[in-house]
Amino acid sequence: MASFTPYTYIQCPCFDLSNQTRHSDGSPSPTSQDLPEDDDEDHAFDPRSPRSNYSLYPLEYLLYCVDCHQIRCPRCVSEELVTIYCPSCLFEVGSSSVKTEGNRCTRSCFQCPVCIGPLAVQSLESAPEASLLSADNASASGPTGPWALTCSYCNWSSSEVGVKFDKPQGIFAQLSKLRNGSSNTGADVPLTSAGDVSPTKRDANVPEPESTRARFSALRTFYQSQLANSSTGSSMGGGMGDYGFSSPAALTRIMSIYSGSTSKPKNKATIMREADVPNEGFRTSNLDESEAISKLRAEGYDGTVTMEQAASQVEEGAHFADELWPVASLLRTKRAKRCPACRHILSKPEAKVSNTRWRIRLVAGNHIPSVTIKPLPNPGAPPPSALAPLKPTQYLLTFKNPMFDSIKVTLATPATTPGRFSSKVTILCPQFTVGANSDDYDLNEVLKAEDRDQRDRRREDDGSHQVEAGKVFERGRNWVSIVVEVIPASLQIQPTPSILQKAGEPEPDLAPLREDEDILEIPMFVRLEWESEPSQDQVGVASSGKEKDAKEKRELAYWSVLGIGRISQE
Amino acid sequence: MSSSTKRHSMMPRAGQLPKAPVNLSSSVVIHDNAVLTGNHTINISSETVIHPRNKLDSSHGRVTIGRRCIIHERVVIGAPSADPTKGEFGVTLEDYVTVEVAAVIESGCTTIGEGCLIGVGARIGRGAKLGKHCQHCTITARSVIQPGEQLPDYTVLYSNGTRRTDKRGVTDLKNKAQARQIDVMRRLIPTNLNRFKE
Repeated sequence: MASFTPYTYIQCPCFDLSNQTRHSDGSPSPTSQDLPEDDDEDHAFDPRSPRSNYSLYPLEYLLYCVDCHQIRCPRCVSEELVTIYCPSCLFEVGSSSVKTEGNRCTRSCFQCPVCIGPLAVQSLESAPEASLLSADNASASGPTGPWALTCSYCNWSSSEVGVKFDKPQGIFAQLSKLRNGSSNTGADVPLTSAGDVSPTKRDANVPEPESTRARFSALRTFYQSQLANSSTGSSMGGGMGDYGFSSPAALTRIMSIYSGSTSKPKNKATIMREADVPNEGFRTSNLDESEAISKLRAEGYDGTVTMEQAASQVEEGAHFADELWPVASLLRTKRAKRCPACRHILSKPEAKVSNTRWRIRLVAGNHIPSVTIKPLPNPGAPPPSALAPLKPTQYLLTFKNPMFDSIKVTLATPATTPGRFSSKVTILCPQFTVGANSDDYDLNEVLKAEDRDQRDRRREDDGSHQVEAGKVFERGRNWVSIVVEVIPASLQIQPTPSILQKAGEPEPDLAPLREDEDILEIPMFVRLEWESEPSQDQVGVASSGKEKDAKEKRELAYWSVLGIGRISQE
Repeated sequence: MSSSTKRHSMMPRAGQLPKAPVNLSSSVVIHDNAVLTGNHTINISSETVIHPRNKLDSSHGRVTIGRRCIIHERVVIGAPSADPTKGEFGVTLEDYVTVEVAAVIESGCTTIGEGCLIGVGARIGRGAKLGKHCQHCTITARSVIQPGEQLPDYTVLYSNGTRRTDKRGVTDLKNKAQARQIDVMRRLIPTNLNRFKE
C-alpha cells in the first residue's frame, strides 16, 4: 500500500455563508438534499460530503483578511488584473492591446502544436559553404531565408504544413497574413471597432470570405445591418436606427421599453432575414467526407491529431496533422486579490513582470496556528504503515502559533467520525494555551531551555511522557502538542442481523469499499481566542478614549479536517 | 600521507579495468578519462569524438562506432542487460550518431542507425534497432527503448514514448553541423591514442 502522509485541511467560512444564503432563498441545493443534517447548526460537518470538496484547503492555500479577521480561500476572494504578459518573452501587454489583438502574444512566441515546446525561428537553407573554411565569412553572410518555426524537442517544423517565412522577424503578422489570406484583408475588421461600425450592406461582388475570422466579420456586418434595418422599421422611431446591437444606446432602449414607455404600442415583429449567400458569411457544411476518409486511409493514425492537439489550436476544425498551425503563446496575468467583504487587499504582486515578489501578501499561515500530525512515538515498536482496526492508537497534534500574541485554543470533535465506518475519537486535552511567537528571542537561550527541559523530563519519567487526560503532552516556546486517541473502525462490511434491525431504520449501505473510504478523517472544530492590539483604523474612527492601551479581544473559529491514516483492511 | 590537496575518488581507478583490444582510426579523439574495457574488439572509425568519463564496454560483445560520431560524457555503451545470452555482436553505432550525456546503450545486437540522436539520460535496450535503414532517429531525454524494439527511419520518440515522424529533411544540415562541432572539439579535447592501444 502506498505510504500515507497525514494532512490538515481547513474549511473556509465562505462555505457556511453560501449555505446560509441558500437557506434564506428557501431552495435547497441538489447536493444538500441527501445531507439533511446540514441544516442543523450543531451537527459536525462531514468531510466526505461532496460539497466539502470545494471548501477544504491546506493552510498554505488560504489568505487572511486582517480587517474582517476572517480566513479567505481562493474561491471567496475577488481578483483584479495587475499585469498582462507573455510567459515566453516576458513582455508586458497593455489591456487595450489585448482588446484589439486578442489574448495571445503578438511577437514571435509560438508553441509547438504537436508537443508543447517553444518554437524557434530557423533557416531552412544551410549557411554558405565558405563559412566552413573561414570564420569571418560566416559572421558576414549568416544564414539566409526562407525561415520556418521549428520545435527543438519533437522536431516539428512549420514547413511540414507548408508555412515558411520570408524574414525572421514579425512572425505573428506574417503568420496571420498566411492564415487569413491577403484576399479578404478588407473584411478583416479589428475586433473592437465592431460596435461602432456603421452597418452597410456589403457589396455583392466581394469574393467569398475564406478564413474563419473573415467569415465571422462578414456575418457580423450582415446581422448588424439587419438589426439596424429592423429597428428603423419598428415603431420605436427612426432616430434610433443608427446603432449596432452591442452599443450602450441599445441598452437604454431596452430599459425604456421595460420602464416608462408603456403607453407606446408594442414593437411589431419585423421579419429579419438570415444570411444566405456566401459573401454574407454563410457556408453550407461539407457533408461529402470521402476526401477525409481517403486521407485517413493513406496517412493512418499518425496523420491525425490528438484531442489535446486539436484543443490547443487557436482555430478549431483541425483533424489531420497537416492542419496544425503554430500556436501563439497565451498571455498570462498577475492578479491582486481583495477581500470580497471589505475590499482590503489580501495579496498584490509586484507589477513588473520579471519580479516575482509580492508587495502585500496576507497568508493565513501567519495568523492561524498550523497543525502537524504524527503518531505518538512508541518506544520499541516501529510505527505501523496502516491503522489496525479496533485498536486504540494515539497521535500527537502539534499546534504552532505564528502570532505575536498567545492564543487560547479550544478543540471539539464528534465522538465518532461521520461516514459508513465511524471511528471513535477522543481529544485528551481539548483546551490549552499556545505561547506567543516573538521576533526577538535568543536562539541559544531557547536551545538551552529546551535542552534543560528534556534533561529534566528524562530524569522524571525516563524519556516517555505521560499521556494524561486534560494535560498538554509537550510544550515549547510557541507550540503545544496534545494527544488524540482514535479507535479505528473495522472495514468489514456486514449486514446487521435482522433481529437487531429496527423497523424505522433505513437499509444499511452494503456497497463495497469506495475510493479513499479507508482513510480516517477527523472533523475538528477549532476555536481561537486571543487579545491583540486594536487595529489602527478602528482607533482612528471610534477613538474610544477610555483605554487606548486596552487590548482587543478576538476570536476565530473554523472547521478543519485531520487526515490521520489509512485503516488496514483485514 | 602526501600533503596534496587533490581529492581522490573512492571509486576504483579506471586504469584497473582490463584494456580492450582496440582498433582506432588515427583521426579519432578520445579523452584520457574515457574507459575502453572488455575482451572483444572496440572499433572506432575516423573523426569520432569521445568525451571524458565514458565507458565503452565490450565484455558482452564487439562494439563498433562509425565515422563522425560524438559520444558525450558519462555515456555507457555496451552496458550489461537483463538477458545474459550473448549476441552476435555488442553495439553498432553507424556514422554521425550523437549520444548525449549519461545515456546508456545495452549490449546485444543493438544497432543505432546513421545520424541518430540519443538524448540525455536515455536508455536503449538490448537488441533494439533504431531506423529500418538505420537513419536519423531522435530519442529525447530520459526516454527508454525496450529491448528488441525497432524504430523506423526518422522517428522522433518523445514525451514518454509518443512517436512521430520527422519531416524536416534537414539531414544534410545536421551532418554539416556535426562535422563542424567535431572540428572544434578536436582542438579542445586532449587525446593520446597510444594510451588505449597496447
